[in-house]
Amino acid sequence: MLRGVSTREGSTWRGLLVACALTLPGLGVSYADALDGILEVRSAYVNIDKGVFLLHARVEYPVGPSIREALQDGTTLSFDLDARVDRDRRFWFNSNLVDLTLRRELSYHAVSDRYVVRDVRSGDQSTFATIDEALEFLGKVDAWPILVEPQLDTGSNYTISVRAGVRRGHLSASLRAILFWTNDWVRVSEWYTWSLPV
Amino acid sequence: MVTPGVKGRPRRLRWIAVGQALLWATIALGAFLLLAKSVQNSSLFGRLQLWILIVDVGGVIALTVLITRQLWRLVRDYRAHVPGSRLTARTVGIFGALVIAPLLIVYLSSLEFINVGIDSWFKVEVKQGLSDALGLSRAALDLRMREYSTRTQALAESLSGAPAADVQARLDVERRATKALEVVLFGEHERILAASLENPLENLPSQPPPDLVSQVAQHVPYVSLDPQAGGSYLIRTAAALDDRGGRAPARFVVAVYPVPAQLAALSEAVQSSYSQYGDLAALREPLKYSFRLTLTLVLLLAMLAAIYGAIYSAQRLVRPVQDLIEGTRAVGKGDFATRLPLPSRDEMGFLVHSFNDMTKRLRRARSEATASQQAVERERERLAIILARLSTGVLAVDRNLTVRTANAAAGAILGRDLSAATGQALPELAAGNERLGQFVAALAVRFAAGRQEWREQLDLDGASGRRTLMCACTPLPGEDSALGFVIVFDDITTLLQAQRDAAWGEVARRLAHEIKNPLTPIQLSAERLRRRLLSGMNERDAEILERGTRTIVQQVETMQQMVNAFSEYARAPEMQVTRFSLNQLVTEVADLYRAQDPLKHIRLELDERLESIEADRGRVRQILNNLVTNALEALDGVEGPLLEISTRLENTAENAYAIVTVCDNGPGFQRELLGRVFDPYVTSKPKGTGLGLAIVKKIIEEHGGHIDADNRPEGGARVRVVLPVKDSTRTAAAGTRERRDQLRRERA
Repeated sequence: MLRGVSTREGSTWRGLLVACALTLPGLGVSYADALDGILEVRSAYVNIDKGVFLLHARVEYPVGPSIREALQDGTTLSFDLDARVDRDRRFWFNSNLVDLTLRRELSYHAVSDRYVVRDVRSGDQSTFATIDEALEFLGKVDAWPILVEPQLDTGSNYTISVRAGVRRGHLSASLRAILFWTNDWVRVSEWYTWSLPV
Repeated sequence: MVTPGVKGRPRRLRWIAVGQALLWATIALGAFLLLAKSVQNSSLFGRLQLWILIVDVGGVIALTVLITRQLWRLVRDYRAHVPGSRLTARTVGIFGALVIAPLLIVYLSSLEFINVGIDSWFKVEVKQGLSDALGLSRAALDLRMREYSTRTQALAESLSGAPAADVQARLDVERRATKALEVVLFGEHERILAASLENPLENLPSQPPPDLVSQVAQHVPYVSLDPQAGGSYLIRTAAALDDRGGRAPARFVVAVYPVPAQLAALSEAVQSSYSQYGDLAALREPLKYSFRLTLTLVLLLAMLAAIYGAIYSAQRLVRPVQDLIEGTRAVGKGDFATRLPLPSRDEMGFLVHSFNDMTKRLRRARSEATASQQAVERERERLAIILARLSTGVLAVDRNLTVRTANAAAGAILGRDLSAATGQALPELAAGNERLGQFVAALAVRFAAGRQEWREQLDLDGASGRRTLMCACTPLPGEDSALGFVIVFDDITTLLQAQRDAAWGEVARRLAHEIKNPLTPIQLSAERLRRRLLSGMNERDAEILERGTRTIVQQVETMQQMVNAFSEYARAPEMQVTRFSLNQLVTEVADLYRAQDPLKHIRLELDERLESIEADRGRVRQILNNLVTNALEALDGVEGPLLEISTRLENTAENAYAIVTVCDNGPGFQRELLGRVFDPYVTSKPKGTGLGLAIVKKIIEEHGGHIDADNRPEGGARVRVVLPVKDSTRTAAAGTRERRDQLRRERA
């Protein structure tokens, strides 16, 4: 079982630039953020089963009145789990070996009064009577295959990073492009990183 | 941009500009692609948003800096009145106004349209309609759910007391009767006791959800509507069997019913609309904000790009004009090497090409003109040198007698410096100059008579005597005869004088030779006659003879004196040159005459710098004696007679001269004799041979000097003698004079 710790990226610069871009035309606005709340990877590890590295993670997604209200109003939330495996290099940038995203959508089914969790990739979905049950389901990721042994070189060091993300809205690409200027619709956690000795 | 030679905007700068444009275009395209990609992937978005923002903000800042710089330059040039700046400013203003005004209109309209358009998505009516549709769907489904729940509860009751052998059959009957997908009887720990499935070979009974289990454990009937992937619905009902009489049920029955496809589709449509509406509603403010921001940024970028484009276009348009202005100024300053870069092949290019062609032709013409001018200048200098060296006076005048050219000799002959007289009228220059006045009058008379080409001798009288000029006048060649004439004249006074001197010398020699010889026999014969005949004659005849012979002897003696004087005048010089003090000699002569006639006052003014001269002392004394004698004779009968004798040393660049001036306050020379006072037999005295001043002049010229005579303005005569201090000067001057006299004789 291989565990890790979380790290921070430089968000100061981004904030500064975003602030600059937003205040440039003097049209900055503020409104309640439905994605407020704790968003972090509580724990994560991998185990190897027959040459396959399986990722297990526990994620805490934000739960609050705003998000409940947003779901009740019909907003679809996407819950992402990003996993990266990088090979460490001493004199150059690390090389990326694996970059996967597990994406699931949570929506409130108004007709049936149930919360539906759908795996975007497979199309499988589960329904829950309460949002807590749905978030508990989303927060547990078990045995997610991310890597196979032949991809690794003996003697190299590897770093596994896991990050959770959530975004709201289920928009077309054109509308999504318009939303580039605000990151209010998307939140990501800090990377949860640990080394993978081979 | 404009300098001598072919110049243009360096290609390197153009390539840099093109490179910058390509770089910015690549960055902008890259940012756009990254944007398109990142918005589809939240992971990418988180990573790339920073860089995209950097590119965007950097682009705006760079564009703003560029435009600010260009505008600042434009304002600076405008204030400095740099050529082309006003045209650039006007063009930028017009372009800017043409672009910014519609942009602002479009911007404001779009902003309003976005606000109104997005708000229209969320009208109350729409939301209410969706809620109503949702309620309707729920009502329709609730009816079925209650119905199925009631049947499931009835089935549970029937199964409660039924024998185990009948359970399966009842489940099958129930499933067939209600067209359920499955009817399953669970026991403790959700263990399946019996099940009736529609497709038992394909499906297994579904696992009851936790909430179902927990609900039926409390003897509460369970019913739920489970949406399925693909848009179908399942109604799941459950009811506990009454097995233990109030305790937790050991068994419960679960039935799963399909919802009719039509109802499911309608319900799914309602759900889908509700969900989409919710998504949009959640992003209503971010959407409006993003639209506004995007529009504003696009407006800003478009305005900045338009202004920059306007400045760039105006500069490109004005640059050839500026080059032309600078080129014209350079040409105006005489820089014909100016060549302008060809901006293009359009009309402006044609204009620049014409300008370059013009400067090329001007340069060539100027080169030719310069060469021609230099040749003319060389010729002029040559001519000026020749004219300056000429002893002949050359004077060019127009018909109004305005001087166009005059050489130094002309001024020297006419007694007026004409070196700066070009452009001045000769009559004005002649004011106060008697000789020049007579010359001008002679010219005016001839021009008035219409004579353009003539050759005559002019006699000009002046304070220093008469001067004789040989003049030749001709119209200037190559010009209108009415416009100018050139007068060439020679002062032949000296030549004439030399001719007279030579003639008198010949006369003197002949007199000395032809007359002197017979005089002695005449005198002797007369004396002999008197001695022989006087004793034998009577008193009366003797007296006649005595008177006649005495007259003969006296006249012969007189003739001998005259012949001696002529002999003295004609004899060849035999100079006995010694060094002596001229001042001392002058003093001696003055003392001698003071003693003879103390009533006539003689005043000396001697230059102490004049120590000694090299000359024949006896002949210089003769000069002084003659001059003093003449002056004292002229003072006879004058009240307060005064004779002034002065000496002065005058140094020139080449030689030193001793100047002796003899002045008196007598009647002066007769005006008609002034030019001829040094000629033999020219005298105003009743007595004398008239050879005194002629001999003086001859002696002085033998010493290499010269003499002139005039009348003083205050009255009285003045004779000025110039003698060289050193004998070497005399010999050199004698050679020069002989050559000059020879030349003049030949020309005469």
